[in-house]
Amino acid sequence: MAHAATLEIRSLNKQYQVRGESLPVLDDISLSIRPGEFVSIVGSSGCGKSTLLKLIIGLENDYQGELLLDGKRISGTSLERGIVFQEHRLFPWLTVEQNIGIGLLNNTKLTEAEKRKSVQEHIELVGLQDFAQAYPYQLSGGMSQRVAIARALVNRPEVLLLDEPFGALDAFTRAYLQYELQHIWEKEGITMILVTHDVEEAVYLGDRIVVMQPHPGRIKRIIDVPLARERNRASAEFIAIKEQVLSEFAGETEAEPLVELAADETHQLGYELIPQA
Amino acid sequence: MTNASPSLAHAPHHGRVLQPASAFISRAAAHVGTRAVGLLLPLAVLYLWQTAVDREWVAIQLLPPAELVWQSLRDLWQSGDLTSNLAVSLSRIGWSVLIGSAIGWLLGFLIGLSRTARAYLYPSFEVFSQFPVIGWIPLLIIFLGIDEALKIAAISMAVIVPVTVATFKGIENIPTRLLEVARVYCFTPRQLLLRVVLPAALPSLFSGFRQGIMQAWLTLVFVELLASSEGIGYLMVWGRQLMQLDLVFVGLIVIGVVGLILDLSLRRLEACLQDWRHDNKQEQK
Amino acid sequence: MNVIYTFLRRDWRGLALPLALFALWYAATAFEWVNIKLIVPPEKVLEAGLRYMSGKDFTEALSNSLFRDLSGFALGGIAGILLGLAMGLSRWTEHLVGPTFNTLKHISLFAWLPLISTWLGTDDRAKILFIALCAFYPVALNTFEGVRNIPRAQLEVARVYRFTRWQSLTRLTLPGAAPQILTGLHLALIYAWMGTIGAEFLLLNSGPGLGDTVIKGRQAFNVELIIFGMLSIGLIGALFNRLAAHAETKLLAWRGHRV
Repeated sequence: MAHAATLEIRSLNKQYQVRGESLPVLDDISLSIRPGEFVSIVGSSGCGKSTLLKLIIGLENDYQGELLLDGKRISGTSLERGIVFQEHRLFPWLTVEQNIGIGLLNNTKLTEAEKRKSVQEHIELVGLQDFAQAYPYQLSGGMSQRVAIARALVNRPEVLLLDEPFGALDAFTRAYLQYELQHIWEKEGITMILVTHDVEEAVYLGDRIVVMQPHPGRIKRIIDVPLARERNRASAEFIAIKEQVLSEFAGETEAEPLVELAADETHQLGYELIPQA
Repeated sequence: MTNASPSLAHAPHHGRVLQPASAFISRAAAHVGTRAVGLLLPLAVLYLWQTAVDREWVAIQLLPPAELVWQSLRDLWQSGDLTSNLAVSLSRIGWSVLIGSAIGWLLGFLIGLSRTARAYLYPSFEVFSQFPVIGWIPLLIIFLGIDEALKIAAISMAVIVPVTVATFKGIENIPTRLLEVARVYCFTPRQLLLRVVLPAALPSLFSGFRQGIMQAWLTLVFVELLASSEGIGYLMVWGRQLMQLDLVFVGLIVIGVVGLILDLSLRRLEACLQDWRHDNKQEQK
Repeated sequence: MNVIYTFLRRDWRGLALPLALFALWYAATAFEWVNIKLIVPPEKVLEAGLRYMSGKDFTEALSNSLFRDLSGFALGGIAGILLGLAMGLSRWTEHLVGPTFNTLKHISLFAWLPLISTWLGTDDRAKILFIALCAFYPVALNTFEGVRNIPRAQLEVARVYRFTRWQSLTRLTLPGAAPQILTGLHLALIYAWMGTIGAEFLLLNSGPGLGDTVIKGRQAFNVELIIFGMLSIGLIGALFNRLAAHAETKLLAWRGHRV
């Protein structure tokens, strides 16, 4: 079993520079995540939840405050942190097997033989033995996302980030993958952080639910989910927690999302504003 | 990421008001700076050219001084030789584009609108389009001689291919859902053509037209180099024969500038058309 | 059975027009409706073609033309890919070279020939350089766009898995831009062939080629030879086109079936 990491977030602040203005996206976020914990983050658009994941994975490195993985400051990407994006982001020119292999490309701990074995194990983990040689265009949305999960797990990361991984899938596939993800989490025992719009998904999977609010992104409340796993979505307790999470949003008007930009998009924005000669 | 895109649309409006002037100026300066970098390469080439001439690295017949090229350009301009030759070339382009695109549109509409016409004509057209137009020229010379008729015919043939393809593709790619709307409202064929097919295929029609003009420009220079007694290509042949390379350079510059102007203005026009189409799309939502 | 079925099911209407034109040509010459010195009968073209093909001249002309075409294509293609990659990967290179490149590409290709022939003469070097130039622009342009159009989502994946520069180039940039690079190479093949024929038409007296054959046919008023030469030029062009399209579908099978 892989080592699971502790993630410490202390007074994390993040701004984007838009046209010389500083636009706060994350405001004083503090959160401590135990090894092997499953944390769900919910919030409406613009609450900075995706930005938070970008910071943890290391695609964004410009922040104030502390972001510590096992006591080490996070800076840049690392193979000990894995991520599954909303879109599968597979390379269309590689087969399922090769796409999962991409995860191990820069893994120096394993020998070639071990890498091959690990890829096979992860293909089996997500149940795609029959599709190992298939290209992404031959896969359904759910299958592609399972490949993406396998690619993220193949390094045995200490923490796995999930950025609305099932958002684009139909309801049946989504429910099935949630079930599978839970099993993978139990089996691997690693820390997982899930960002989602879907409150039911958050309650079904999370040990804790972090509710965020927008403009700027702050933690509004953290709700424990003390339900035993395999959770029953129809049980009274489950529904009660779901209602409790939903009630946190009740006060929010359907706010117009102001900005949730990535750094290079802000660059582009600034660029466009220069009048064309 | 997905939730960023709607906000992109209105974000600039806030910023334009609030933006401090200094930030604007510094960014504009940076922008001009990156533009200026593009001048380094031509300046370096000019410098190298000048040095090569000054130090006589190559014979003056093979590399005329840049000033001489500039001087010839001005002389030719002032004597009217340049304009008259250019006018000949441009009128050839004009006629050929007129004839070529008329045939191209006709053929494209025929193939695009009628399945029968398509079955009979398209295979032949496909074969024809793969023959380099230049290959036809010797045969055309046999039939048409080397006068104006040859030039117009050859250049028109170069125009026909892209115009037909674009017209045909433009009609073929009209979304079925639009055609279904027309059927729901029981459009007559005339209404269908004027209210659906033409507007929907317009951008593609125009893009074919632009490509046709660029092909015409390419073929024109070839024909004028091969057989001509006037025109901008002839100017170059003449300069080459007299070993007056300054004339060749003048020809290159003029051909480049005209090509640039043609391309840019057509692209600008095309972009306007696309904008119109884009706005239309948003209204439909 | 199956063969016969597909044979019958094919749409043969496309043959009507060429057959009709051919019949007209044949009838017009057979009944001497036209001057058969100018419009030669089809059988004479066939005869001239066979005679010419059996001689040594044809193979020499053909191999010369193909050699020029393919060397120019290879040189221009490689240069185009290199410049396209450089401009696509580095903003500085783009700012430095882009404006010059975008200006020069508007000079109609054949306009370079008088200059090239003054500097290099009319032999193979001049022709190959010119053909390379014809192939260069479409490849450079498409490679550049292909590299620039690689989605940021995929670049982020490369960062998450800590790709080195070399890995990014070989495992993301090149395969990601491959569809556009191949489009560029396909166009380059067409332009190179056009350039080969054009250069052979304009720069005579330097080793036979298919283009020279046709031009000599014109000078000798040998219409059979002109038509035959034209047909060979067209067929080779069409063949290149086919090969390129085939290579594209083979190499880009990972994109799935596209119409």
